[in-house]
Amino acid sequence: MSRTLVLFALAVLFVAGLAPVLLMFARLSPGDLATLLDGRTLALLGRTVLLGVGVVFIAVLVGVPFGFLTSRTDVPGSAILRPLGVVPLVLPPLFLAMTFTSFLDVSGAAMTILVLGVGTFPIVALFAGRAWRRIDARREEAAYLVGGLPAVLRMELPLVLPAVLCGACLAFVFAVNDFSVPDFVGFVGQKFNVYADEIFATWQIDRIDEREGRAVATSLPLVGLTLLSLLPALALRRKGALATVGSDFQRPAPLALGRWRLPAFLFCLTVVAATTAAPLGRLAWEAGGGAQGFSLATMQRAFATTLDQSRDQLGASILYAVAAATICVPVALVLGHAAERARYGRFLEWIAILPIAVPAILFGIGNIVLWNHPLTSSFFRGGGLVVLMFVGRFLAYPFLVSSGAVASLDRELEEAGELAGAGPIARLGRIVAPSLWPSLVGGWTLVFVLAMRELDATILVSAANGTAMFRIFNQVHFGRDDFVAALALLIVFVAVLPGLLWTLFGGRKLEVLP
Amino acid sequence: MRADGRTLLGPVSLEVEEGEHVLVVGPSGAGKTTLLRAIAGLARIDAGNVAIHGQAVSEGPRELVPPRDRGLGFLFQGGALWPHLSVRRTIEFVLRARRVPRGTWPARVAELLELVDLLGFEQRKPGTMSGGEKQRLALARALSAEPRILLLDEPLGPLDAGRRQSLLERLAALQAKLGLTILHVTHDPGEARSVADRVMTLERGRIVAGDQAQGALP
Repeated sequence: MSRTLVLFALAVLFVAGLAPVLLMFARLSPGDLATLLDGRTLALLGRTVLLGVGVVFIAVLVGVPFGFLTSRTDVPGSAILRPLGVVPLVLPPLFLAMTFTSFLDVSGAAMTILVLGVGTFPIVALFAGRAWRRIDARREEAAYLVGGLPAVLRMELPLVLPAVLCGACLAFVFAVNDFSVPDFVGFVGQKFNVYADEIFATWQIDRIDEREGRAVATSLPLVGLTLLSLLPALALRRKGALATVGSDFQRPAPLALGRWRLPAFLFCLTVVAATTAAPLGRLAWEAGGGAQGFSLATMQRAFATTLDQSRDQLGASILYAVAAATICVPVALVLGHAAERARYGRFLEWIAILPIAVPAILFGIGNIVLWNHPLTSSFFRGGGLVVLMFVGRFLAYPFLVSSGAVASLDRELEEAGELAGAGPIARLGRIVAPSLWPSLVGGWTLVFVLAMRELDATILVSAANGTAMFRIFNQVHFGRDDFVAALALLIVFVAVLPGLLWTLFGGRKLEVLP
Repeated sequence: MRADGRTLLGPVSLEVEEGEHVLVVGPSGAGKTTLLRAIAGLARIDAGNVAIHGQAVSEGPRELVPPRDRGLGFLFQGGALWPHLSVRRTIEFVLRARRVPRGTWPARVAELLELVDLLGFEQRKPGTMSGGEKQRLALARALSAEPRILLLDEPLGPLDAGRRQSLLERLAALQAKLGLTILHVTHDPGEARSVADRVMTLERGRIVAGDQAQGALP
């Protein structure tokens, strides 16, 4: 691996992802830490853990059977149900909160857990589904001969469990760090106060000279919690427990469900209806006039008005997301390759994921502290900062996808290139990258989607006030339901578009899992 | 050489004369692949040295000459072919890396493909080729850097009996034509005995038997 390339990629990671975090932690004072173990902080920790555990419970309860049924069985329509089940992951959690709070007369902890459970179950379903697809047909047939479907499931569950655990850990991380859902649920009903919300409040309430350290101190238990949750996921990935297929792998045939086929289909249909169709349908209904009387003409007008009034914000969001994704992918490839092939790989893995272990709100505050100076004021006010923030915040995801893909790439392909005389850059660009194309496109799509739906990190940064998500965040508090719904649907459409186009015309599967 | 607390390759002294075809036979896990990788510079040795044509290329863990400059061709077990590159592009990849003038590429590609009997396969990708064709492409790739030494790691493994014999004859012809030195490792004692000048046996990382072998060091 070229040292120059790795150093350059590390420099990008440091400036975009690590510097804001390290700067914030450098501002901690002993006084700030005094509140760490008081009753209020411990209660907050308890509520946040409860939120994470509740979300994981829902995500596993729905995600594991959904992943199994749509990936490995003859359930009708699995080819359509499987991608539809991923849609909640693309939807900004705020949209899910807007939908479910309007449908159900529940608020506080239950609503927050439900919304985030719905938003994160696809992570578990994706991991579980992939693990099930990677079980060799011969293993499955051996179990089937011994005791039919129950024996197959008994044999396969331990093989799928590490992947489910990995997905559950990531669902936990997403849930405990989310700010927009507890904030919105608290806005329309009973408040369920958790860490992410508290950091935001601390930053807003405290005096300017005290608030940085206090915001960091408030987040410390959350950072610890996140790192602890990522630990098993990374360890499982390192051990290869997420199943890599060998060259003689035989794809298993779909399992026949027999009389369970109809109930299984109804289960999958219900999941898709509740988690994908309901939020999208609700937004479409709101855009068409909602309670004031739905009509297609109203919907058309709402879209025309929204496009007219939010063209700049949508354009800015797309530009920032494209730029961030395009920067992230090559940097992630270099770092991901080094993490798998170099001796310091494990260390690199830890520093690369650090930005996602820090609450998004704190990451945003770190950027304010880092860049809000007279020397850098023009950068601080411009779109470049938003792109840099997205790169820093989301680089970890394509990094994990790339390094996972490199791990499954035969090392001898590169060694053959080395012996042929190709240098490190040629090997990376002409052997590694083309072999990992689906993962690189997957990483790009992942960053694009996350950047399009990002709100938490950018909410305090003035340069990001021109994004479409920020416009929605502002408008939901002013009751402009048709405008908000139309803009939300436009964001979802744009976010889904690259992945959809690749799936339809790319000819190869999109790899978005590490 | 050790990894995970296990000795991969013990003290081995091995000398191969120029133009020789030496066969190293041993069971799985004996250290055959590790031996080839150490010579190629793809694996680091803890102690001792590797010399090619009298010049030291590795001294202990220190790499004196990088793998690409050792003048070696390596036929990997399983081929290690680049799945996204066609036959022609695979050869061109090596020619480009070796800074061969672009104008000479077509003739060079044709010459190499003729050597391994793959003319007409220029546009094919490895995924569409049979086991024997893939091995011949791997051989063409190894030869396209004009090596003086060829390291063969179980080259006949994926082939049936007929194709094995055919590839062995081709190797022998190439060796005679290009004056290659060949170090060939296999787990099959019967493989290549007919074309090898010397046969050695490697077990648990040590050479335990062999014609004119230096033998294992204590």
